[in-house]
Amino acid sequence: MQTPATNARAQKTPLTIISGFLGSGKTSLLNHLLTQAGPENGGRRITAMVNDFGALNIDAELIAEKHGNQIALANGCVCCSIGDDLMRSFIEVMQQDPLPDHIIIEASGVAEPTRIAGFASVDPQMRLDGIVTLVDAAAHHIHANDPHLADNYGKQIEAAHLLLISKPDLANAQQRAALNDELRAAYPHVPLAEVTHGKMPIDVVLGLNSDSAPALPTDEMAHNLVQWAGHLPPLPRHKIVKRLETLRPHVLRAKGVLRDSAGDYVLHLAGGRISTETYAGDASGHFVIIGKPQMPDAATLEKLFTQNEAA
Amino acid sequence: MSIIYQGKSIRTMNPHLPQATHIAVRDGHILAVGTAQDIDGWQKAWGPLELNTDFASRSLLPGFIEGHSHMMEGMFWDYHYVGFYDREGPDGTVWPGLKSIDAVVDKLKEIQATREDKDTPLLAWGFDPIYFTDRRMNAADLDAVSEDCAVIVLHASLHILNANNFVMDAADVKNADNSEFIRRDENGQPNGEFLGQLGYYMAMRTTGINLLAIASSPETLVNFANVARQTGVTTATDLVNPVPEGSEKPMRDAIDADDFPMRLVVAFQGNSKEPDEAVARMQELQASNSDKLRFSIVKMVADGSIQGFSARLKWPHYYNGAENGLWYIEPERLGEYLKAYTKAGIQVHVHTNGDECTEVALDKIEEALREHPWPDHRHTLQHCQMATRAHFKRMKSLGVGVNLFSNHLYYWGDAHINITMGPERAARLDDAGGALAEGVPLAIHSDAPVTALAPLFTAWCAVNRLSSGGVTLGNGTQNITVEQALYAITMGAAYSLKMENEIGSLECGKRADIAILADDPVDVGAAGLKDISVIGTMVGGIVHLNQGRD
Repeated sequence: MQTPATNARAQKTPLTIISGFLGSGKTSLLNHLLTQAGPENGGRRITAMVNDFGALNIDAELIAEKHGNQIALANGCVCCSIGDDLMRSFIEVMQQDPLPDHIIIEASGVAEPTRIAGFASVDPQMRLDGIVTLVDAAAHHIHANDPHLADNYGKQIEAAHLLLISKPDLANAQQRAALNDELRAAYPHVPLAEVTHGKMPIDVVLGLNSDSAPALPTDEMAHNLVQWAGHLPPLPRHKIVKRLETLRPHVLRAKGVLRDSAGDYVLHLAGGRISTETYAGDASGHFVIIGKPQMPDAATLEKLFTQNEAA
Repeated sequence: MSIIYQGKSIRTMNPHLPQATHIAVRDGHILAVGTAQDIDGWQKAWGPLELNTDFASRSLLPGFIEGHSHMMEGMFWDYHYVGFYDREGPDGTVWPGLKSIDAVVDKLKEIQATREDKDTPLLAWGFDPIYFTDRRMNAADLDAVSEDCAVIVLHASLHILNANNFVMDAADVKNADNSEFIRRDENGQPNGEFLGQLGYYMAMRTTGINLLAIASSPETLVNFANVARQTGVTTATDLVNPVPEGSEKPMRDAIDADDFPMRLVVAFQGNSKEPDEAVARMQELQASNSDKLRFSIVKMVADGSIQGFSARLKWPHYYNGAENGLWYIEPERLGEYLKAYTKAGIQVHVHTNGDECTEVALDKIEEALREHPWPDHRHTLQHCQMATRAHFKRMKSLGVGVNLFSNHLYYWGDAHINITMGPERAARLDDAGGALAEGVPLAIHSDAPVTALAPLFTAWCAVNRLSSGGVTLGNGTQNITVEQALYAITMGAAYSLKMENEIGSLECGKRADIAILADDPVDVGAAGLKDISVIGTMVGGIVHLNQGRD
């Protein structure tokens, strides 16, 4: 039986759902996330729930142990095969001791991600971190007009806290622009980015609904994304938030451990939401933004966030 | 040992000898069927044969075959039955139906008062809110049973459960913003009802009861078989089981025992592995079949349920405006699996409830057959409740069989007329008459434990098409005759499992599986079918009597 203490939000394991149709690149994304994870890399101990080990194409050298429907990876992460029984899989995953730092589920192509999210809402030890939906750039038109699946497709996109347009290289420029405009217009506050071969920084995908102290991303942005980092002077937080707002829709994630006259605080932009909360430690003023190439250049950002007068 | 059993009447389902009075049994098989005049000849040919007249006043039929049930039926008997209708447990105890929410609460209070360990979870099952229209059961009802332990009531549909506040506090769901799974009262507070799998998940995660592990234990199997025996079933199905590596041996040990009163056909969960691996696993399982345990078919689930609004329907979808239901597998993946199994010669049973799903399943079967022609694949659509006559015509052309969920007519018939389908479409619900008219091989089922396992009741439903509210569904063309219904629960189901050469009729050479009834169902007729007392069964020549029946 769970005590109230273990129900505390901070102690609940975050769940990220990767949603999208068959062939939209869910497995590629997951693969790439796993290569960036694991305590061996100083990162999260992830348990990934997948439909098919085979498709994951895990390098044999990375497999530490294979046991039934679980594969332990050398980097400390675990992959579980869902089979056809999501409930059974969740029961098994939540029996792990200790529980993983993060659970990622690769949803089936027809799954409604909000339904999977329900597992997190009724589990005493799990919470939803975010729903990431992949939209296949070249097949969008086909999926959106499928006589049997169009409604399902719409629900997956609608549920997303992060929208990733996959396989942009397979679509022509006109298709890409139209898709981008369509999604941007329909979901103006949901971060939107293109992804090729699943290459996306782990901190863009995980932590969409995070309230833990941020692990500031330091890795190179080899994902057709740009990153800016700087140190911010102690400006009033509402000003920082307002300036950050002006950068939408080009920002995917932002994290800062900042200080103003009201005290130290953490600022997040994740899943399209900007939030601030009190920080108990000693704020460094470090601020990181991950965005798309269309984001203003470093000099502009430096100016935007460090100038003392209102932007 | 060789015995001649005398019956008052024997309905054989063998067109060459539809009725008889004597049946000779040897080594678990039927040696001969005939009348008193044939006995001298049998003695000369195969004697000596001993005459047994224990059932001389009884009616003998081929043992009934439940073509769509779940082993879970045996699981719930460890818990407390609180359904609307009387139900008989595996030990023969009749659990009386509870006719109001208060009666359910009182029953649970009574149970709680007599429990030794009052802190352990209290689990009940079989509750059906469809009969209580004035209000819904809520958390306060169950708090009245206990505030200090988990109290959980599973609904008959298996799609919903009720929990008390103890459970909701433990699960920390009161502030959950995911209201789709949590019913709320007018003040926005969770009322204690949880929908779908999530309720089960929450129940397991908060109580520690592993409902999944219990589902495949030998005790569950024995309970299941005993419930089946009481209803004249000699072969049942567990229509979806992932059969994890190593689980087949304990199942076989339990089932192969002489006193285990049933044969079981297990449907392997078709997409529990990738297609190639699943085919390999299925072939491995088939090699371990025994006389009483068969791993012979694969089950694929393609959509949800009509009453749960999760079945995929063609336009204009649900009568009450609910949005269209869910795919449980990508149609494209369903197609991949059907191709893999068809190529390997493995029969697939596909769960389709809504008409859109039925149509897509037929598309995918057709695609598989164009690639891997197989004249007698006998792929079967299970439930298939909203099929049109056009769908049945197409099934006939494709060689696809059907197993209809006839019990729905009674349990949810009124809801289908008023809420889910509307009167016009509800008329064709579980159209057994249509299937036969179009020449589609027909079986009918209970989906136990979703509804009570009792083939004579299922036959009654298909014959009468009467809802629990007293309304007749359809205009008569959907009904089947008593004889057709009896065929459906014997030879029809045997055919759907490709076992028609072994079981399903009483004739020379087949297995000695018999349902022993107090009265002849054809003589009793349509109205009384469901009330015929089942005296016992014979499975492979071994008699299993029910207690206290006459």
